[in-house]
Amino acid sequence: MKLNSLPEKEIVAIILYTSLFFMIVAVVLIVFFYFSRKKIIQKELEKKDLILQYQKEQLHAVIFTQEEERKRIAQDLHDDISSKLNIVSLNSHLLTAPNLTEAETTEITENIINLTTKALENSRKIAHNLLPPVFEKFGLNAGVEELCEEFESSKSVKTHYKNEIDFDENDIDRHLHVFRILQELMNNSLRHGKATEIWISFVKEEGVNICNYEDNGIGFDNSNADNQKGLGMKNIDSRISFLGGTINITSEVNNGIVVNFTF
Amino acid sequence: MFDFIIYLTYFILLADFILYTYSFFREKKANVFFVCYLGFCCLMQFSMEVMYHYRMNNLFLVNIFIIGQMIVLGLFYDSLFSLKSQKKFVKISLLVALLILGIQFVMDWNQFLRFNLFEITLTSVLVVVFALIHFYNMLTETRKYYYFNIGVVFYLLTSTVLFLIGNLTHNLSKEFKFLSWELNAVLLVLYYSIILYEWKFSFAPKKRKIN
Repeated sequence: MKLNSLPEKEIVAIILYTSLFFMIVAVVLIVFFYFSRKKIIQKELEKKDLILQYQKEQLHAVIFTQEEERKRIAQDLHDDISSKLNIVSLNSHLLTAPNLTEAETTEITENIINLTTKALENSRKIAHNLLPPVFEKFGLNAGVEELCEEFESSKSVKTHYKNEIDFDENDIDRHLHVFRILQELMNNSLRHGKATEIWISFVKEEGVNICNYEDNGIGFDNSNADNQKGLGMKNIDSRISFLGGTINITSEVNNGIVVNFTF
Repeated sequence: MFDFIIYLTYFILLADFILYTYSFFREKKANVFFVCYLGFCCLMQFSMEVMYHYRMNNLFLVNIFIIGQMIVLGLFYDSLFSLKSQKKFVKISLLVALLILGIQFVMDWNQFLRFNLFEITLTSVLVVVFALIHFYNMLTETRKYYYFNIGVVFYLLTSTVLFLIGNLTHNLSKEFKFLSWELNAVLLVLYYSIILYEWKFSFAPKKRKIN
């Protein structure tokens, strides 16, 4: 062994440097670990904040739409029913006036009957708008069918509806969300998309209910952030999350819109 | 067997260099300092091999290699970092390290002809720190040179010890003299293979992407 020819000082230096090297690396690794942990925790907090903010926005949207809906109902009641009932009340007061001729009495009664009939019809319409009785009695399929008919008859849109699913009546609460989503989509297609044709179909794939919705309206630019989250879309989003499903919206300018969602 | 491993390292290193140069010139994607590093490695290995064949003392080349590696890898990490403070840290630590080493060599020229323990420790620690900072950055961002980074940390941690005991091995018996260098060659094969894998991962033309 020629090891002894190496000065002791050299060996000590080697040992010292080796241990020093490992010491420094160990310290660096510990610092690295500490900062990484901090960074990861911070990222997670940011994520949670984002989720919280999203939930807040959703809640906001829900409250806002509730208020809008109340306003709409109040307006409907005021315009269509209160005003008519007012005139009915006036006419009834006229009836109590003395010295009325036979002809006058008949005219006033006819007026009252006409107005009450109209008020009745309007109240039925308002109630119907709030919750279609067909939907409540016969389920989602009939409800959507009626919705399509309504749009065809009153708003000059051609609708194509196809259903391959046998809906369970016990799920009516969930189906109401689906119905509302379709209502919102159709209203949007008409109001913003100027669509003239709408396709709706329900399919069941591998045990998952899928709804495909399509129109031929003007569409919108998918990449534009302004188009991403209107109030209606937020509403649809929260309904989808209620249903525990997923939604996929694709659209191009002048190429209509395609929406697929599961429920 | 030992010769085979050494030539295998040369082969893989050359393949790395060619592939990265190709990616650099054809697609302008590979980092310029990284290509420089591979070229520098090639040059060093080649000159060491030549000097070995002429029976010259090539130990000072190891010193050049270690310092050059620190400089080029420091610049490489500097170009990867985006935070100003990190860039500053890399530059200042590189300058300070070079200054200290320069003073040391001026004071004792003989240090250049043997394994300089201080130099080896300093340069390795610096590069490991740079690599760890890069790991830290990659925690939340996209992975760039991820596998290479793993390779650097892995190779430097192990090879540094081998270099540190380099002066000891001079005096061992013939049988064991080259044991640590055989180990180093095996580590180099692994290291260069990781660099090769990194190329395949980040730069290889992806054909099967269209499913």
